Amino acid sequence: MSVNGTSAHAEKNWLQFRGSNFNPVVSDAKLPIEFGGDENKNIAWRTEIPGRSVGGVIVVGDQVITTTSTGMDQRRIQLLSYSSKDGKQLWEQEFVARGRPFCHPTSANAAPTPASDGENIYAFFSSNDLACVNKRGELLWYRSLASDFPKAGNDTGMSSSPVIVDGVCVVQVECQGDSFAAGLDTRNGAILWKIDRPSKANWSSPTSAKSADGKSWVIMHSGSDLLAVSPKDGTVQWKIDIGCSTYSSSLAVNNRLFVPAGGMTAFDLSSVGKEPSKLWDENKLNSNPCSPVVFEDRIYAVNKSILICSDIYTGKVIWQSRIAEGSVWSSPVVVGGNLYLFSQDGKCSVVKLGEKEGERLATNSLGDDVLGSPAVVNNAMYVRSVSALWKIAE
Amino acid sequence: MNRILYTLLTLSFLSFMSSSSRTAFCQSTAKALDEIRKIGTGDQEATRASALAQQLNRAQDLTLSQTLLAMKGATPIGRNWLSGIASSRYRAEKNPPKDELEKILWDTTQDGEARYKTFVWLTKGNNKLRSEWLSTLMEDPSPELRYASIEAQLPITKEAASLQKLLAAARHPDQVVDLIKKLDEVGVKVEQSKHFGFLKNWSLIGPFDHVGTKNFDKEFAIEKDWIANKIQKSYEGKNGNVSWSEYTTEEKDGNVDLAKVFSNEKGCIVYASTEFDSPIEGAAEIRLGCINGHKIWINGELVMSNEVYHSSSQIDQYIEPIQLKKGKNRILIKICQNEQKEVWAQRYQFMVRISDSTGKAILSN
Repeated sequence: MSVNGTSAHAEKNWLQFRGSNFNPVVSDAKLPIEFGGDENKNIAWRTEIPGRSVGGVIVVGDQVITTTSTGMDQRRIQLLSYSSKDGKQLWEQEFVARGRPFCHPTSANAAPTPASDGENIYAFFSSNDLACVNKRGELLWYRSLASDFPKAGNDTGMSSSPVIVDGVCVVQVECQGDSFAAGLDTRNGAILWKIDRPSKANWSSPTSAKSADGKSWVIMHSGSDLLAVSPKDGTVQWKIDIGCSTYSSSLAVNNRLFVPAGGMTAFDLSSVGKEPSKLWDENKLNSNPCSPVVFEDRIYAVNKSILICSDIYTGKVIWQSRIAEGSVWSSPVVVGGNLYLFSQDGKCSVVKLGEKEGERLATNSLGDDVLGSPAVVNNAMYVRSVSALWKIAE
Repeated sequence: MNRILYTLLTLSFLSFMSSSSRTAFCQSTAKALDEIRKIGTGDQEATRASALAQQLNRAQDLTLSQTLLAMKGATPIGRNWLSGIASSRYRAEKNPPKDELEKILWDTTQDGEARYKTFVWLTKGNNKLRSEWLSTLMEDPSPELRYASIEAQLPITKEAASLQKLLAAARHPDQVVDLIKKLDEVGVKVEQSKHFGFLKNWSLIGPFDHVGTKNFDKEFAIEKDWIANKIQKSYEGKNGNVSWSEYTTEEKDGNVDLAKVFSNEKGCIVYASTEFDSPIEGAAEIRLGCINGHKIWINGELVMSNEVYHSSSQIDQYIEPIQLKKGKNRILIKICQNEQKEVWAQRYQFMVRISDSTGKAILSN
């Protein structure tokens, strides 16, 4: 059991990119070690989805929710819900991208992972279209942020996922044109606040943390800064000039903030009313491009195909091991002490996280590219491959 | 006058919607539907639309067809609201009226996005019907239906005459390039740069200073003079005096490779000028592919401006509406290169063409 309380128990929902508490760890779930392959071992169901997505999947109750982009220039953007039981489609919503839909061939307009507050679902796309629907798929509000801010966009594609904190949907739209972060009222889509951000492309996602005195923060970083804002009004709580990764995202666990900067840099969030102080930095703990995970006093980062394990108190590297072949975009999840990591070619490495080393237990192939991060709920892992949705369970 | 016209259009919309519905259509629903069609940008509009959508999602008297018909003439944002409401209606109506949906699909005066949506619904799970209908839609005014039609026919079309027919209908650059390649394979040569109508002949001048990426908005003397149609033979450039030189691209994608012409100069600006002898007077589009910061003026008017560096490039990447004069039209492009050192950040190039609103080339006389 985690000393640091980093594990989620028997997750009933997986509400956003990297799970409901941003640290994709489920301690007491049981997932198959081996799955997929020619025999479709332990594949409970697989549903083909038209178009393309590189975003992750979320689970809200018995609904598995994903996005896709189809048609000419991937301008048709869809939000889709499937039954977790049998993979049958429950509803779909569709819009036409009003912003720039272009992206690198590896990516998709449907790149950000949707988010939910457990009631409604918020879907964001590379084209900066943002929609909110209820659990019946009825449209509650829609914003074309590219119509409001016409120079917002990036033709290699954007992928920052929204977060929902205290009734505010926070998006990070960082590009060379109109570059900003904004908080939108989850009730009606009104922009509550908007702050300027550096005019450089950034694909990392915001995260959330609590200050030592219990206030909510939204934490975001870029190639030149790290800052916390109040979700309600966007007031900057603190800001540190530091060059951070523009791919992977930060992670806050128990008053510690782990930031992909100079490898990895840890900050102490425990002081009230003060800028966080640096605890350590470790340039060998490079999380690129996926995001780190903390499990039982250790932080795990994947640098391309190497899994690196470090002590969360010192940053000191304890062990490292090559666990994947080829490119990796999807962020790892830890379930029952095993780390699951998908490489772009759809191969999932399962690694038992040991004291002194990682033991590769299996490499499983889905036969379809995977760039989004999986969701784990009720002893099942849901995976969005580029052209399908999968439920993996015994 | 405009207000009168607007009122008349609204009244005619309300009257049309009432008469075209299968069921009674109460005035408040019709009014909400009309209002959501016109939704624009900004918070006030978004929150108003959210309230209207709630009303329309609950309206018992609103049908799927009425929602789709309302997309005609709606704003782009209004069309997305209506699309969202239509998706819910489609689910709610256990037996969506196929005859009404078909009527919308085949009525080319209806909104293209609504028609595409009906096409997808009507052909869902019926590949035979989908193929049959797509084979008739390659010249459809809806860009999406046209694209889908050509996409369906591309892999199965082998004969030169059929490929040429598809090429004449194709508008999306990827499909045009694919078709020209396929025609080449069956022995039919098509000059790609001419088919797209890329502007090939340019007068170039530069480099001008852009060290520190600071002069995107600086009005160099050349810029002012060109706009005033009083250009000089030479100007003070970044490394001394510079003068105009003629350049013709022979690239099939119309690419003007400034890195090659200006010896990989970084932190610089080059101006490219040409004349377009238009066969028509009126609305057209300028379509640019450029991986560097750029501005474009036509006949002295700024029509495009994007300060974006090394973020991909493709044919028709940036599209802006323009007004052409019949005869000579003067075009000036300012192309800005920054000082990034990465291998992937060395390109300095542009490709530009003039087309109608569908993407079909308008060729200079």
